[in-house]
Amino acid sequence: MTIVSQPPIPEPSVSAAHPSSRPDPARTPLVEVRDLVKVFPVKGGVLQRTVAEVRAVDGVSLTIRRGETLGLVGESGCGKTTVGRLILRLIEPTSGQILFDGRDIARLSGSALKPYRRRMQIIFQDPYASLDPRTPIGDSIGEGLRIHGIGNPRERRAKVAKMMDMVGLQPYHARRYPHEFSGGQRQRIGIARALVLEPDLVVCDEPVSALDVSIQAQVLNLLRGLQRELDLTYLFIAHNMGVVEHISDRVAVMYLGKIAELADRSAIYRDPRHPYTQALMSAIPIPDPERRRQRIILRGDVPSPVDPPSGCRFHPRCWLRERLGNPEINAVEEPQLRQISSGQWVACHFAEESTRQLIETAHRETDGIEGSAAVIS
Amino acid sequence: MERVELNREGLVLPATAPNVAADHEEIDRTPVRTYWQLARQRFVQHRLAVIALVVLVVLVALAYIVPLVTGPLFGRTNLAKIDAPATLEAPLGYDELGRNTAVRLMKATQTSLTIGFAAVLIIVGVGSLVGSIAGYMGGIVDNLLMRFVDIVLSLPVLFIILMIVALFGAGNVWVVIIAIGITGWTLAARLIRAEFLALREADFVQAARALGAGHRRIVLRHMLPAAMAPLVVAAALGVADSVITEAALSFLGFGISSPEASLGNMLTNAQEYFYSAPIRAVYPGLVLVLIVLCASFLGDGLRDALDPRQRIGK
Repeated sequence: MTIVSQPPIPEPSVSAAHPSSRPDPARTPLVEVRDLVKVFPVKGGVLQRTVAEVRAVDGVSLTIRRGETLGLVGESGCGKTTVGRLILRLIEPTSGQILFDGRDIARLSGSALKPYRRRMQIIFQDPYASLDPRTPIGDSIGEGLRIHGIGNPRERRAKVAKMMDMVGLQPYHARRYPHEFSGGQRQRIGIARALVLEPDLVVCDEPVSALDVSIQAQVLNLLRGLQRELDLTYLFIAHNMGVVEHISDRVAVMYLGKIAELADRSAIYRDPRHPYTQALMSAIPIPDPERRRQRIILRGDVPSPVDPPSGCRFHPRCWLRERLGNPEINAVEEPQLRQISSGQWVACHFAEESTRQLIETAHRETDGIEGSAAVIS
Repeated sequence: MERVELNREGLVLPATAPNVAADHEEIDRTPVRTYWQLARQRFVQHRLAVIALVVLVVLVALAYIVPLVTGPLFGRTNLAKIDAPATLEAPLGYDELGRNTAVRLMKATQTSLTIGFAAVLIIVGVGSLVGSIAGYMGGIVDNLLMRFVDIVLSLPVLFIILMIVALFGAGNVWVVIIAIGITGWTLAARLIRAEFLALREADFVQAARALGAGHRRIVLRHMLPAAMAPLVVAAALGVADSVITEAALSFLGFGISSPEASLGNMLTNAQEYFYSAPIRAVYPGLVLVLIVLCASFLGDGLRDALDPRQRIGK
């Protein structure tokens, strides 16, 4: 698969040089995030003074192209959900730019933001918490239309009915309450609510993680079908590498508030270059009892984002660094996201070293360790 | 690659087009029940609350109908009937001034309930206003409002009420209502604030924000209905509290005084005859206890009934 790559951090281009002039809409990405930072203060003491800061998102830059699905993966607490909510402006960014359709929306508020709210929507992880338990689902789905004053009541009802049909709900469901539905049905309701405004961007925040595996596939296929039908762009946040592979065109891997690797799906699954991505890939279950799984098991826990490690954030847990004899640079200099091949961006000083062969030899050597899992150290 | 294909195999189930609704095969014929119908069903399960409701309804009916029928009879003295025993028209006998105790008790209940309900309106109104603003805005506004609540809480309530009543007219029902209302809203404010702090981050509230809903819509349509449970509890406790405070106030001679009747001033009168006729304290005392208990049980039942997550048992 050859997708013409576009750098996640563009060189000072037309849009940067002339912020006022609207660049060619066909060529600008739908969303362009530049150096996004979100710091949550940790308050303590009687006076509620800020005693520490959590850098949940620490300088993330990425682009989402029109019509694509960008997968965003990472462990719990790596900041992937925060990135999604920042783009939607559900939380206030500390600094950085969020260009939506060429316009910076990071500082907009109130009525200036409202037209953009209509163009970007969210699908939540928990189908139980994301619906107002006191509102019949037809009203929940139609709420966006009412908020934005679209159509008259009859047109709105028709639109809600059409949307419900598209996600596989029956018309008579409209008057029922959320608690009368199953998890999968509720997620369909959430999807209908998000899509009724015909948004451009939909942030899917782990939309299938809370669902049963058989229902997961249905919802994923529904999302894919709707994407084609309604010309949607997805930011698909997940921690399940298999799900992300199924739905994404490109994949961004986050670690501790930063992007570790960003590449086309085929590239990142065939030839992951960041040692963290490689460890994640090795954790994907292989549905073949004959094959021996070669896992790279990471040592230790994710460090606290209150006090991230110096230099490369991954260095205390990095198996590649140890194999290379603990080079000094890892603990000193922070690696920048750089392009190492067409469509593949990696934030690692030694991305070139972490080739497939090295991983294989690593596996072979550790395979010799009896009984225990293959711990690379 | 092998792994890639296997994954895809495992994930994609055949023949699941978007329009095929796989998780419901046939039309569900169970009747659609509205939120209120469900709430009623849940409430009915709550035995104690149902009993409390019945008792309270009877009490309210008696308290508002009997004085209406008997007119000024509750205050009419009759020297011939001082301390007279019970008869058919005075089932609880006559008091030290020859007044019909039963009629007077009903009038007193009416006064106390009126004060209780009216004060609770103020309590819930002010409490939910302050609490929802603090909980919704958060940050410095929340801090300022909650410190103000702390200040109000740290004041000796009875003393403040006595002062207000003494300044603006003892014995005036409205002054008593306002005095109780403006000192009693702090608990309601705290409960609503706590609920709002949690609800603000709830997914369905975030969803409304993402849809572009304004503050007013989010608060009035989504958060306040969801905060109904603590609000109802605050109201129930508020009724009980207000009735007791009124009784204490009248007992001290600052609330409603003779010839008007309230449970508090009936207790005051009864105190003089505590050794000779202790039963006189029992009547208003019993009504007071009934009101307070019923209000609490009713609050419990309503809280559960208004929570849609509560299952309806068999």
